[in-house]
Amino acid sequence: MIKIAVYGKGGIGKSTTVSNVAAALAEKGLKVMQIGCDPKADSTMQLRHGEAVPTVLELVNQRKNDFELEDMVRIGFGGVVCVEAGGPTPGMGCAGRGIITALEKLKEKGAYEVYQPDVVLYDVLGDVVCGGFTMPMRKGYADKVFIVTSGENMSIHAAANIAMAIDNFKNRGYASLGGLILNRRNVKREDEKVAELAHDFKTSVVGTLSRSEQVLLAEEQQQILLEAFPDSEMADEYRKLAEQILAVCEERE
Amino acid sequence: MRQAYRIIPIYTADVSGVCSALYELGGMTVMHDPSGCNSTYNTHDEIRWYDEDSLIFISGLTEIDAIMGNDEKFIHDIEEAASELKPRFIALASSPIPYMNGTDFPAIAEVTEQDTGIPTFAVPTNGMHDYVHGAGMALEAIAEHFVNEDRCEGFYPADCRNDKAEAGIENERDHRRVNLLGVTPLDFGPLDHAETMKHSLEQYGWQINSMWAMGDSLDQLSKSADAAVNVVVSSVGLRAAKVLQRKFGTPYVVGAPVGRFTEKLSEAMEAAVSSAKGFAASEIEKNAQTRHLSETEAAQEPADNVVYAACRKVSENLQDANKAEENTRHQAEITLIGEPVTMGSLAAAIELQYGRSVRVLCPLEETEGLLAPGDEAVCGEEMMEEKLKDAGIIAADPLYRPICPKDAQFYELPHIAFSGRIYLKKIKQMPGFADLI
Repeated sequence: MIKIAVYGKGGIGKSTTVSNVAAALAEKGLKVMQIGCDPKADSTMQLRHGEAVPTVLELVNQRKNDFELEDMVRIGFGGVVCVEAGGPTPGMGCAGRGIITALEKLKEKGAYEVYQPDVVLYDVLGDVVCGGFTMPMRKGYADKVFIVTSGENMSIHAAANIAMAIDNFKNRGYASLGGLILNRRNVKREDEKVAELAHDFKTSVVGTLSRSEQVLLAEEQQQILLEAFPDSEMADEYRKLAEQILAVCEERE
Repeated sequence: MRQAYRIIPIYTADVSGVCSALYELGGMTVMHDPSGCNSTYNTHDEIRWYDEDSLIFISGLTEIDAIMGNDEKFIHDIEEAASELKPRFIALASSPIPYMNGTDFPAIAEVTEQDTGIPTFAVPTNGMHDYVHGAGMALEAIAEHFVNEDRCEGFYPADCRNDKAEAGIENERDHRRVNLLGVTPLDFGPLDHAETMKHSLEQYGWQINSMWAMGDSLDQLSKSADAAVNVVVSSVGLRAAKVLQRKFGTPYVVGAPVGRFTEKLSEAMEAAVSSAKGFAASEIEKNAQTRHLSETEAAQEPADNVVYAACRKVSENLQDANKAEENTRHQAEITLIGEPVTMGSLAAAIELQYGRSVRVLCPLEETEGLLAPGDEAVCGEEMMEEKLKDAGIIAADPLYRPICPKDAQFYELPHIAFSGRIYLKKIKQMPGFADLI
């Protein structure tokens, strides 16, 4: 089982990227599970065409332990197994602790044994703001972390913070950095700046995604790009990225 | 039903359970908290505190440590203490604050073990569960980390057990070797009280290999694979029993020797040893591979090896059907309150000896598969008060008395996990558990 966590600045396109990569991997015949680790619970929204799914934490909150694994899972486009960790109402509770509880509950309910995914993708909220948001990279969860960034300074700064957190935890048996994913915003010196960041953290840019209006059009239709425009050049960019991510993970194995 | 406690206290918490279970094993138990868990533990929960040394380390977590996540300071302090005190192992127990901020104890344990070379493990407590949960996980960790076949002969060695059985190497002495799992002062009081269980089983020809974890060293516990059967004498021992069954194929029965029930328990132990002899080595392998599912399933299934439950079912069948039905409801003549295995065993002993119907009310969390028909898990003071309304004869910790009906006959059964040291003098004057009736 390949387990990957994807981090990056809020709004940089993590969920869109992860969902399309998930679908591209599913196209190859792999069983994919995508777990949204964000209180907003919108990671897999396009994969499930906007169909509602109760989050893991909603279920725990309402029913304690009186629910089944199937209650917190929806099968999305391409057969991708979709799960949303969820979290507290904005401004209340503790979202970081929520991620820990949700991932532990998923494990406790036997999600990995029952669905037996070939690939698990953890799509994690913005920055590593506290201990809870390192959960997807902790031992027993992801093996590799990929960071989505553009060439914008704030995005690079956030990516550097995440890479630093991974480096800090290297003696703890956590996931290692798999590489950067450049999601272009077409700013000046974009490729150069992201390549510099990769060099600073002794990693590489594993894939580059163009800025595409089609991604937004697909989103309007509550679909991912691979479903709405499967024959587009952008779809091929996602497929290529999926191949490269897989290659990095298989190299490790 | 509200869960507020107005009159009675709550049970000892999970962190104290960890410390109590590991107290005599030569390790260093680390409580990562500002000091509240520590003072509760040594002031109320630990009766050995002034008589016997143990390494209990308090991190003294501060507000700023919690906010900033100063794990490095925590690790440094543990390592400094460990280098001076040289414990056999380090157990890291969490408390509410590090639980809430998601401190990664397994990772800290890994770093500490790498740095010190001392076996280190995390016990995932959070201060919000009762002692059974914490002590149970602590003994589970001991079974997982320290009991290996290379430390002992192994009564059921995975790779050669069939050969050994065929060769007739096993002798009668090996067949009678037993570990008692789940023995802490929180349930059984001072060591001499706990040892009454040993003496009681010895009278039936059993040899006590180890007692988890009072009166025996870590070295003795690490030889637990030598036993032919494990006896879970309180719910604290259940998790360790499952680990030992998975690792070595050792069967377990649930029940504590007391009064006439000891004979039934001994018979069940003999039956468990006989049936386990046919257990193929491949089964152990299979258990190891399906660890997650098998242990989860096992927890949900009603267990046949809960001896007092089976025993009480039989005595129920012997009675008139209507009367039996009545007896298992609220009309039981005698009500016992407390930990499910000890009270369930005592209930069986009373039924066997006096033919009086007994029910157990269990206010602890881990009751699944441990209650006999008619027994009940009770959540909170209000529910307990309601359940006790019609009780005629009650045996429980003295602190329950204020919520019992005034006209009920009340027998004091002090329980350290409930009333701490308040009744310790009284406990010392009482017989040990196995000799209670």
